[in-house]
Amino acid sequence: MIVRVFTIAQNTVREAIRNKLLYTLLFFAIALIGTGVLISTLSYVESERILQDVGLAAIRLMSVGIAVFVGVGLIHGEVERRTIYTILSKPVSRVEFLVGKYFGLVFTTWLMLGVMAIAFAVVSLGYGAPLDGGHGVCFFLVGMELVVIVAAATLFSSFTTPMLASLFTVGVYLLGHLSRDLRLLGEQAKSESVKPVADFLFQLLPDLESFNVTIEAVHQLPIPAAEVGWATLYGLGYATVLLILASYLFSRRDFR
Amino acid sequence: MSRVLPEGKAARRIGTVVLLAGVVLLTTAAHRQLPHEVKTQKGDAYVPRPEFAKAMSLGFDAVLADYYWVQAVLLAGGSFDPQSQSTHLGRLIDVVTTLDPWVDHPYRFAAVWLTDTLDDVRHGNMLLRRSFDYHPDEWRNRFYLGFNLFYYLEDNAGAADILHEASQMTGSPQYLPRLVARLRSESASLAAAGLFLEELVRTTEDEASRAEYQAALDEVEVEWRARQLDEARENYKKLHGRDIEFVEQLVVGNQGVLPALPDAEPSSLPAPLRRGSRWVIDEESGQIVSSYYGRRYEVHIDEHSRRRKQRIEERTRRSRGAAEVETSAAPSNGSAAEGEEADGV
Amino acid sequence: MASDASEVVRVEEVVKDFRPGFGLRVKRVLHGISFQVRRGEIFGFVGPNGAGKTTTLKILMGLIQSTGGSASILGSDVRETDFRKHVGFLPENPYFYDFLTGREILRFYAKLSGVPAESREERVDTLLDWVGLSHAADARLRTYSKGMLQRTGIAQALVHDPDVIFLDEPMSGLDPIGRMEIRNLILRLRGEGKTVFMNTHILSDVEMLCDRVAVIVHGRIRYEGRIEEFVNDEGRMSELVVSGVAPEVAQRIEEQMGGELRGHGERIAIRLREKHVGEALQLVLGAGADVVSVTPERVTLEEIFLNAVEEGEKDSPGSGARPVRSLHDAAGAAAGISRTAEGGR
Repeated sequence: MIVRVFTIAQNTVREAIRNKLLYTLLFFAIALIGTGVLISTLSYVESERILQDVGLAAIRLMSVGIAVFVGVGLIHGEVERRTIYTILSKPVSRVEFLVGKYFGLVFTTWLMLGVMAIAFAVVSLGYGAPLDGGHGVCFFLVGMELVVIVAAATLFSSFTTPMLASLFTVGVYLLGHLSRDLRLLGEQAKSESVKPVADFLFQLLPDLESFNVTIEAVHQLPIPAAEVGWATLYGLGYATVLLILASYLFSRRDFR
Repeated sequence: MSRVLPEGKAARRIGTVVLLAGVVLLTTAAHRQLPHEVKTQKGDAYVPRPEFAKAMSLGFDAVLADYYWVQAVLLAGGSFDPQSQSTHLGRLIDVVTTLDPWVDHPYRFAAVWLTDTLDDVRHGNMLLRRSFDYHPDEWRNRFYLGFNLFYYLEDNAGAADILHEASQMTGSPQYLPRLVARLRSESASLAAAGLFLEELVRTTEDEASRAEYQAALDEVEVEWRARQLDEARENYKKLHGRDIEFVEQLVVGNQGVLPALPDAEPSSLPAPLRRGSRWVIDEESGQIVSSYYGRRYEVHIDEHSRRRKQRIEERTRRSRGAAEVETSAAPSNGSAAEGEEADGV
Repeated sequence: MASDASEVVRVEEVVKDFRPGFGLRVKRVLHGISFQVRRGEIFGFVGPNGAGKTTTLKILMGLIQSTGGSASILGSDVRETDFRKHVGFLPENPYFYDFLTGREILRFYAKLSGVPAESREERVDTLLDWVGLSHAADARLRTYSKGMLQRTGIAQALVHDPDVIFLDEPMSGLDPIGRMEIRNLILRLRGEGKTVFMNTHILSDVEMLCDRVAVIVHGRIRYEGRIEEFVNDEGRMSELVVSGVAPEVAQRIEEQMGGELRGHGERIAIRLREKHVGEALQLVLGAGADVVSVTPERVTLEEIFLNAVEEGEKDSPGSGARPVRSLHDAAGAAAGISRTAEGGR
């Protein structure tokens, strides 16, 4: 089982790294990190911080972009091109296939994240901006956010078209970053019935702000290890639930 | 195009290039017709409510904060009209510090620029107080708040309290306890202003603001000397039973009470800008004034804002007249403006 | 329901419903089909387009889930996966990851099929050689022709040395040489003791290759049995074109041999059963007439299907519980002959 999941994951990575479009995205991301240099000159103070703000924002935006871009077509492409027929006719269960694709994509996005992180480090060092463990933690948590986003993309991809799947995934991303505000809204709402709804949504939606320590990293604020640990657990748990759901839907699907 | 086709490939290629050039020219011409100001420079760009910006930032708070910060810098660095734009600037900084409250400089930036109405000052003070949670060890933010309270809001007790806090912090200057004591004594507001301004001149990063502080400090310096002359004048009255008719009498011959008159121009004034100003008796008020300023200095806001407005109007008029490169002239601009304005009064 | 050892595939009362839209409307495409495939045979699953061949095969391959009934391969329910290491599958017009090379894709499928690492490379090389792709083994599939992709498909179906191989329209889109190669391959597989299941609608392939067939029309099995019984020579017709034959001779042929006469005057065409052709020729030649041509008329599966479709439409309102009938009905009807229903079962 592990061999099969690994084989499919490995192949997914191979597909991604042989895709020219991905390099275009990566190039764009690195160019975006570079624009931080330009933007930072607009401010006469704290330009290192602005440089890093822009860099980290670019990395987070582009890695989610890559996740959505590659993720939503993940399953659909296999069905559309009927490559899935021969794979599932081998002793590969649908769950193994799905999980393999998922791991492959997570690894791909991590690879991209790694490359972007290196670009970020180079630019930061080049402009004398401080680099420390906080940035590492920030990248790690962006990676955890990707774990969740890719799981969402996989879930949507398992039952709908890439167009809708990308819409849904982007929706999850946006709502995931809004979910804390939603809860706050519920607490401040005058109507009593709003609060439980807002609370429910907060529990249901991924709380993606848990994986956002950009400000902490840039200002070199302490990031409690426990918080990182809980966020990791939360991300893994949330992704697992999404994958189980995806597996359930995917297992019942007919490939016509 | 079809007519050039028979000419062959080369003709077709030339046709394409000509077409392309035409389109480029047209596009450029159209672009030129469009207004080119960056909205923030006009000061009417949309600034969201801070809490709304925070909710809608989707985790990109830091970079969004930078965006509004850059807008604020562009606004202040452009032809800043404090009357209409400082409120806008305050809102920008409010958004910046809501999105990323760990930013450092924008708090003091707000304190420096939000001084044109008492409401602006209060807004700036609110922002400074916000910084205390995020920069608990930063004595400068408390110092700026203390200055605002003392200088604009005439709240000496409040200023003393906040400066006392600042004086406990590492890195705070050694004279702070002295300043606190002066503020508590409620008498020597000129000395306090001097101490504040000296520190502000020393620590303000932004050159235009620093020039303003320098200008104010210069006035304090000259006022300090004027008060010495007032004292000498009193001594003269006691000694001779009559007032002086001109200031030089204070040092003339054996009737004089002073060995020499102090400089009537600020000591920071570079030689080329000196105009040999003298101490004179103001006809209207009967006070000893420096011909450099033509009036006496008063610490608090109403007077200050009146004069500040005059200065800015003057500066605006001049910059429109001789369209000079403002930024390159910026460092000396403040004091130069002081001088010219004083001549006019 | 215990399957005996010689049964490789067992399909029992399989029903499949599709929902064409989001509504509750259900379309039944398989009406409780049953058939068996025995070890070592080449089994043809034939029927017109849209009859349910591919649906059935996809159920067997686990790509679609049946609504009711049961299907097993090698004694395992098709919803399981482990038995698939003994199963090979070539879909219709197969398509593979085009970013991989021929060698990489075979390695990939070998790994998925559990081919042990130590024998994997050797197995991949053997298969590449076998399907004649050694020269293109390291080229990306993107550059492959349709025929090469079909060979790749065969190679991946066999890379793990399966016991039973499922082929969906293996000849479709191939040139005559390609078809011959596939035919030889299938026969070779049988020679190695493999069981082959193939979907097809090409009669000549069925005749040439299949030991047994099942014919599916409109989601129902119309016949299951040996191929010889299915396509019986007795049912075949020939067309005899003669000239200068006397009307009484023609009439005799028409009456005694059940021939159908067409045409008038000098040249007439007589359509009659193949077994009567010799007799009729003797009669014609004996009467001094000329024989222009003798054309054996092959009953194509399409014709049989067409007929069966018409028949199916006639009695399909009678629901799926209707007993499976021999295809002899259909074949006979297509050939203009009616036969009794007790055929191959």
